[in-house]
Amino acid sequence: MDKSTIICRCEEISYEEIEDVLTNGATTFDDLKRLTRCGMGPCQSKICHSLVADMIHEKTNTPYFQIPLPRMRMPLSPIKLETLATNSTSFSSVKSVMDEVELEDGKVR
Amino acid sequence: MDTSYQTIIIGGGVVGSSIAYHLSEQTKEGILVLDQKFPLSGTSGSTQAWVWVHNKTPSWYAEFSMYSAELYSYLSKKIGDVEFKRTGGLSPFFNEVDREKALRLAEAYEQIGIKIKVLSREEALEKEPFLNPAVVGATYSAIDGNVNPFRLVDRYMRAAKKNGVQYSTYNKVTEIQKLLGKFIVVSEKGTFACKNLILAGGTWSRELGKLVDVNIPINQLRGQILVTEPLKPFLNYTISGLRQAFNGEVLIGYSMEQEGFNRATTLDVIQETANMAVHYVPALRKAKVVRAFSGIRAMPEDGFPILGKIPGVENLIVAATHSGVTLSPLIGTLMTELILDGETSIPIDRYSISRFA
Repeated sequence: MDKSTIICRCEEISYEEIEDVLTNGATTFDDLKRLTRCGMGPCQSKICHSLVADMIHEKTNTPYFQIPLPRMRMPLSPIKLETLATNSTSFSSVKSVMDEVELEDGKVR
Repeated sequence: MDTSYQTIIIGGGVVGSSIAYHLSEQTKEGILVLDQKFPLSGTSGSTQAWVWVHNKTPSWYAEFSMYSAELYSYLSKKIGDVEFKRTGGLSPFFNEVDREKALRLAEAYEQIGIKIKVLSREEALEKEPFLNPAVVGATYSAIDGNVNPFRLVDRYMRAAKKNGVQYSTYNKVTEIQKLLGKFIVVSEKGTFACKNLILAGGTWSRELGKLVDVNIPINQLRGQILVTEPLKPFLNYTISGLRQAFNGEVLIGYSMEQEGFNRATTLDVIQETANMAVHYVPALRKAKVVRAFSGIRAMPEDGFPILGKIPGVENLIVAATHSGVTLSPLIGTLMTELILDGETSIPIDRYSISRFA
């Protein structure tokens, strides 16, 4: 790998960009993900995480077994919103900003 | 690394890093930021990052938020591109009861200089053509916008470090001793002394307060957010509930759950959030979600920021708030004034921790 090697293909993040944040104190995949977008694309780090682990190992001397894996989240593979939606329009945990505007004697507090 | 500083800030999130940066602009006396993990690993890195003003209530809180929003353009000039975009904010509503509320809101806020327009259905659809045609109307204000929270905290940190601020990360504070004229801060990686101590622990403020025997009444509120694949630009405004980022992805979510520090994402809320997305913007039906994430928000017991000196302990300051992204430029500015001048250019008495006593 050289400085221009693309580590994250989804977001086109190079070796050099990841190296920069590793020298700025980032130590885990998730730290550098937030700073560079590495691993934030459609594959959600499935392709780049082992390359990044190599880099973390190389730059910080952390043994491989101590390098935490990226945090995986649902839905693991991209899925259409219409597949997730149940088409209900009654909400409980999800709020609307207007719900939070409260009137007192016909006036905004 | 030095062991003695003028000021130590505990918490390197958007609030702590903003204070560190603004303070470092004005003084060269040593500043250390301690973070138990790494900046952006908590609340500041798991947000839609609206810069939101227009339907905050009551009006004095909206006014406070407005002052902060207005600092963003200047801030971007100083610390670099944080992808701040004053898009204007749109809150759609789907029933006539909300229009009544919206009209009262617009009337009340006109007096404090926040212009809110209550849009008819046609006006709302003209502004945001992809809104659900079943919309009844919307409130609109030009002052709202959004920012890239990762860029924001990164830029605060880089600018602060350039000004000499030191960061010590993955370094949890375990003990604080109050001595005459100074604090001793014991952390996992070492012991430090300082004159001024600032508690900017966000969701962890209550725990942090216990180390100095102060009750900081901050609770946790979980929010779950969906991220779509990048789409061509089609949303013009920051809509309360979703927004399109610079790179085209749409961030969706406005859920609130009391789950302590549990950062799980759950199918029921993901589905509800998907329902909101397709209800507000039906064209999103075909968009693919690449990730769900959850963030724990700091929520003061009465909802309002807790800012300023802690009575009874000299040189101890707390800065803990919800809406840290919106408020960070102002909080950084005001806490700097408080440390260097002993007073602030905008009154913050209302936000004193003493209101809970």
